[in-house]
Order: sequence, then C-alpha cells, then structure tokens
Amino acid sequence: MQTLNIKIGGQAGQGLVSIGTILIRAATQEGWHLFAHQDYESRIRGGHNFIQIRLADRPVASWENDLDVLVALDEATITRELGEVKPGGVVIYDPDVLGQDAKTLVEKPNCIGLPFARIAEELGQPKIMANSVAAGAVWALLSEEIAVLHETLALMFAEKGEAIVQGNQSVASAGFARVRELTRERAVPAKPQGSEPRLVLRGNDALPLGALAAGVKFMSAYPMTPSTGVTEFISEHGRIARVIMEQAEDEIAAINMAIGASFAGVRAMTATSGGGFALMTEALSFAGSAEIPIVVIDAMRPGPSTGLPTRTEQGDLRCAVAMSFGDFPRAVLAPGDVEEAFYLMAHAFNLAEEYQMPVVVLSDQHLADSYVTVPPFDLSRIEIKRGRVVSCAEAGPDYLRYRCTDDGISPRLYPGFGDGLVVTAGDEHGEDGHLIEDAETRRRMMEKRMAKQRLVEENALDPVLCGADEPELMLIGFGSTKGAVAEAVEILNSQGCRAQGVHLPQVFPLPKSLAALLQKPARKFIVEANYSGQLEDLIASRFAWKPDGSIRRYDGRPMNAKFILDRLPGGVCHGS
Amino acid sequence: MAVDQRFEVRQETAWCPGCGNFGIVRAVAKALNGLGLDPSQVLFVSGIGQAGKLPHYVSGNVLNTLHGRTLPTATGAKLANGDLTVIAVGGDGDGYAEGGNHFLHAIRKNVNITYIVHDNQVFGLTKGQASPRSDPGMVTGTTPLGVYNEPFNPLATAMTLNAGFVARGYAGDQEHLARIIQAAIQHEGFALVDVLQPCVTFNRINTYQWYRDRVYDLDQEEAYDRTDRQAAWKKSWEWGERIPIGIFYQVKRPTLADHYSDILDVPLVRQELDPGAVEEILSEFRIG
Repeated sequence: MQTLNIKIGGQAGQGLVSIGTILIRAATQEGWHLFAHQDYESRIRGGHNFIQIRLADRPVASWENDLDVLVALDEATITRELGEVKPGGVVIYDPDVLGQDAKTLVEKPNCIGLPFARIAEELGQPKIMANSVAAGAVWALLSEEIAVLHETLALMFAEKGEAIVQGNQSVASAGFARVRELTRERAVPAKPQGSEPRLVLRGNDALPLGALAAGVKFMSAYPMTPSTGVTEFISEHGRIARVIMEQAEDEIAAINMAIGASFAGVRAMTATSGGGFALMTEALSFAGSAEIPIVVIDAMRPGPSTGLPTRTEQGDLRCAVAMSFGDFPRAVLAPGDVEEAFYLMAHAFNLAEEYQMPVVVLSDQHLADSYVTVPPFDLSRIEIKRGRVVSCAEAGPDYLRYRCTDDGISPRLYPGFGDGLVVTAGDEHGEDGHLIEDAETRRRMMEKRMAKQRLVEENALDPVLCGADEPELMLIGFGSTKGAVAEAVEILNSQGCRAQGVHLPQVFPLPKSLAALLQKPARKFIVEANYSGQLEDLIASRFAWKPDGSIRRYDGRPMNAKFILDRLPGGVCHGS
Repeated sequence: MAVDQRFEVRQETAWCPGCGNFGIVRAVAKALNGLGLDPSQVLFVSGIGQAGKLPHYVSGNVLNTLHGRTLPTATGAKLANGDLTVIAVGGDGDGYAEGGNHFLHAIRKNVNITYIVHDNQVFGLTKGQASPRSDPGMVTGTTPLGVYNEPFNPLATAMTLNAGFVARGYAGDQEHLARIIQAAIQHEGFALVDVLQPCVTFNRINTYQWYRDRVYDLDQEEAYDRTDRQAAWKKSWEWGERIPIGIFYQVKRPTLADHYSDILDVPLVRQELDPGAVEEILSEFRIG
C-alpha cells in the first residue's frame, strides 16, 4: 500500500481547516483514499492545532505517526512536530513566523521556506489567500499537474465570484511552482488508480445525514463540543429536508422538547456531549417509563467534568449504559466509522420506535471530526420501521396506551389521530395511562417494560469481525477504535500472527453471539479509550469473563495501530 | 353526549377536599366545552405536583411529564403537531422553581400554547415547603424562621420578556377563570394564566377568605388598557390590600411556528418519511 502522511500545524484561526479542506477535496478528486483527523484546543484564536491527512491508494480507516510532509504555519509546528517527519520527508514552513531557535531547526535540505502570506500579497491578493499558497505548495509534492487543484479551488470558491477563484488559483500556482522547482529530484507518488465517485465526510456529517435519511423530523439541542457539528448540520440542512432544529436553553430542555415531539408522533433526536448528556439523565428515565422513543447522540470527549473539551475519549460508555434512576429498557450503539455511523442512525430510530424506548448513539471527537473517503451511501439499505402504530379505526374510542401484550410492546396511537385518548405518564400508570398506586399493576408494568429489554437483547447487532477466522490473538473494541484495531490486525497478520479484530457496534445490550467468540482459545485484549476499562467491565459482568490484557488510552489523543501494537506484550503471538 | 359537554371532570381525585384545584379543573372543562373542541384534539402536558395531576381528571390527551419540564415538552409536541390545542399545566414550584429557566425561554420562543399555573404559594405534594411565590415571613417546613427570599413575580417577568398574553385568574371564581382560559387558548402565541389557588392544607395565610377580600377584576377598571405594557407591568406589582385578576397584557407577536412556516405547511407528524430526500444534501459531499 502506498500511503502519504501530511500534517498541517498552526494556530487556531490561521486557516488550517481551509488548507485541509482544499487538499482533502483535491486529493479525493485525484483518486486518493484518505483519512484525516483534527487536533484542536479549546480556544478560538491562537494556541496550536493541526490537521493530519493520510492519503492512500486504497481505503484507510486510521492514522499513522510518521510524516511525509509537515506544513508549519506557526513556530510550534516546528519546535514540537519536526521530529515526526520521517527520513526523506519534506517540511514546508513560513519563515516569517519563525523565531531564531526554530530557524536553526529548519536549516536542513528537506526544509523549504515559503512565506505564504507574503507570496499572496506580492501577487496583489489578500493575505487570507496564504491558504491557497500552502495548498499549492503541498500539491507540488503529490502531482506534477496543478489542474485538479485548480478545479477544486474553482468549485470551492465559485460562489464568491470569478475574481476570487482566479486569485486563489494564481497564488496556488505560485506555491506549487516554488516547491516543484526545489524538489525536482523528488519523484511524486504514482497517481492512484480508480476514479469512481466517493463521498468525503466526517462522523459529524454522517450521523445527521443518517438521521435525515431515517426521517428525523425534529431535533433540539444545546451546543457542546464535539457534538455541535451534528446540531449545526441539521440546522443548516433542515429546511431542505423539512426538519425542525430548535436550539434549547439547556440540555434538559433539549431532550424534553424532542420527547414531546416524539410523543406527538415524529422521529425526534438530540445531540450532546458528556456534561450535557449527564443533564439528560432524568429525561432518559422518563422516556423509559412513559415508553416514548428518543434517539440521543453522545459525542464523547475526555471527562470527568469539562475535561478536555476538544479531544477524544470513550469514557461515557458506563454512563450511557447505566445512566439514570430505576430500571428501564434501552439500547446503546457505537458506530466505528463514517459508514457505520450513517447506517446505524436509521437502525437507532427503528429500535427506538419498535421498542418505544431511549436509544443512545455513542460517537466521540475522533469519529466526529475525522474526514474519510467512502463509497456513496446506498439509500436503498435504509429501512424505516416505525414499530407498532395503530390507526384511528384500530384504536377505537377505548384505546389504551399501555395495553399489556405478550411481548410488552403496546400499540402507539399519535394524539389527535383518532377518537381514542392517548394518556401517558412518567408516574407509574395502568394500561390506560392514568396514575396507579397498587402493587399488582406496578409489578405488571415493570415486567411489561422490561420484557422489551429481552427482545432488544435477542436482536442485538452481532460483532463485526476482521482478520483471521481461527485467531491466536483477538483485539476487542467498540466505537471509533474500529479502524485502529483493523489496521493493527492487518499488520499482525502480515507478520504471520493470526489476529482477529472484534468490533462491537452495539454495546448494550451486548449480543449473545459475543459469548461464543469469548470462548475461542485466542489470547484476548480489550482495546478502549478510557482509564478504567469500561467495556471490559461491561463484558466481564455480562459473561463472567476476563481478558488476557487491556490496552487503554486516556490522554485525549486518538488510538491508532502503532499505539496498540506497541502495547501488546512480546511473545503474545508466535509470529511476533 | 351534547357537544358542549364533551370535556368531563372526573369525580375521584387525589386532591384534598376543598382544594383550589377543583375550581381550576372545572374552569378548564368549562372553557374547553365553550370552545367546542373535541378531547382528542386537546393535549394536556403537565409536570409533577398536585397540579400536574389535573390532566388525569379531565377529558383529553395527556403527557404527564417530569417535575418542571412541562414547557419544553409541550413546545416539542406543539411543533410536531400544530393541529393539537396544547395546554401546559403545573404548580408554582414546578414552573417557577424547577422549571424557571424553561419558563423564561418558552416565553421568548412564543410557542402557541396555553400555560396554566396553579399558584398556591407553597409546595403541596411534598407537604408544605416554601415556593418561589411564598410571601416573606411565611413559616414552612424549610423556613422555620419565615420565608426570606424575594417572591417571584411571574406576571412582571412574563411581561419583561414581552409575553403576548399575561393573565391572572382566581380558583374561587370559576366563571371568570373559564373566560380567561378561553381567551388564552384563542390567543396565537404563548399565553400565561397564573391562577391564585388556596391550599387548604398547607397555606394558612392565602386562604379563600383572604383572596375574597382582595381580588378585583381588571375589566372593572374603565381606563385599563391591556396593550400598554408599562402600565400592565406596574399593575402586576399590586399585591396587598387589593389584588387584580384578569388579562393584564395582550399583544400579537410572531409565534415559533411562524418562524418555521415553510416547513410546517403540513404538520410534521403528517409528512412522509423518504430516505431519498437526502440525495440532494449528499451530493454536497460527493466528489468525482
């Protein structure tokens, strides 16, 4: 596999995302597959952020450490990240922003000084076009032709008019020419094969897209990193899709508004992160008791408390599985990549409506903010199953909202859709929804609701496997570690170690089929991004089982194959 | 059943004998019967407390939610199905303490619902603690030396936020209260009806007799102009020898649904769900 890692570092507000977006779009157009992750601080201007793009000639789902290209828009990129450049890698820096110490560091043949802003200004263009200078400079290391980059700039700036398009193209050409000239000896990578159409998007695009495809009609949310992208996506595209996204005064209002809409008969959701999710505790329990479908996206970031607001972790798992008071049925899904995120949203809404319960979809900053190229989504795979809903005639005037049935699922009637009245309460209630105090009804209602939990478990999503079928080593994870685990497994197999990756797209209730996997004679490791081993606890308590080891990351940075492989004990595999 | 008797009041309740809630529930039924609505078109959204039980005792759809969360829940239901007449119900603890933040923002959003607050100036169901509406000096289970916090003025607060309909009723005057509730339901936008409600068990100060001696109808004041916000706001501070009831302030403002009029030409709940509808949005992410 041919891969190329490009890192662009700079301060918040310097245009990293613009350069990254230009390159991501152009590289995809050129035929590259890519995975790009973002690292940013909890501030609006200044600090040190980066976007790292991994290009490959086949699909990739994770990132690599060693850099082929480092672009420095600030001094910190040089002082902190120069060591990540592999031998033969190229550094492109802006000499106008470097202090004396950093200047000494870049006195090497592979470092190219390019005053991005000055070049733009010398060509009579505004300073902000420094971004296109930098994009052109990087493009010179990828291709001998600038046409595709020009095409991308034309598309991206079309709305701003011809003059802006031409300005960006001319400064990009200048950056391109300078670097081409200085790296004449260096071969550009072979042009990747295949020009089939692709989507390039982040988890924070795929999740709301999945929700829209699933027919979400109402969302309410309160902004919180890293979930805000979902909220803004629905706000921006809601009018085309005829969906309301109403910003709430707090997360408590957000989830309750969505519950109100869902009760009235529409697919409704909210999105939040750690602290906001915790504020939804009470409403989650209400939805469980009142049997109102609701989908909650929790984009995890490192806690406890405000933690590291802009970074990644999988520390809300225990919370998602157990949060709130009393016993009630629920499901927790954990998509591992952008495609799974898209398709699982439809599944989340189906589960919520079929079982009339809350469904939590766990995302995290790494999934939310990382771009990846994927084949176009297949909308025919989206099946909308609204569960047991009765019409006006079926309901009749004596409709009972909580009618006891064999499987615990009572037919829903949307209020106003018949003569029957829909009476719903979070207080314990009888079949008619009115409040009760007697022990017998209470017992029946608890059993009715919890019968649904058994059904949810019966139908839980199976683990997604990769690598060897009869493994000697098994790596088990959930959520955004999927790509890192898959790549570690691939590397191990290439080294003669029969390794298997087990990704859990549903973490609660855990699928019964996991039990058989755990019985396999392989040595098993749980890979997860939290301190205490929340997935390990969950599996251990469900299946009375213990892994052979744990690989955990809790520094707020994303997992990758190298992180996992570095932590596997020696001799764990005969081939390693 | 006669058309104007479709809303019935249930005889058996969990309220104390003599409770002000009885006057309120009868006024609600009277108002709804007078409007010719069918119970299936009406949704009551209520909180927790003795007031929150009201929807269980009168005909209609019911969403009896959490303590303090009536307004956001009602907002979501109304946006999902604008054909429903949505009436939120709760006590002063529910709405002005636990749900205080929601109260402010529901007014700002101007969602087209009616909000009836059973204002008995005390926490009833938890057996007699101070509420945000308790008068200073009132001795309660949590204020043995008397209430010391400044009382919350819901009417003044609502008018400060430019609520479109701000009214006060009295549970002891069902006819008057029913008229106010009708006007509130007919008002396009958020309508607050704060109802003075004697608590016969825990509030020995603000009794039926106490109110009877003080309340008077604003409509009896010839010069009163309910579109004059400054004057109405000033009136909302009259509390003591004389206590005004009636519609303090009424003005038409764009509602929350007006903001979404292009989406809500058909109620959300009646719109088709079609995965193909995202094709256009997906094309933004497509390259090649």
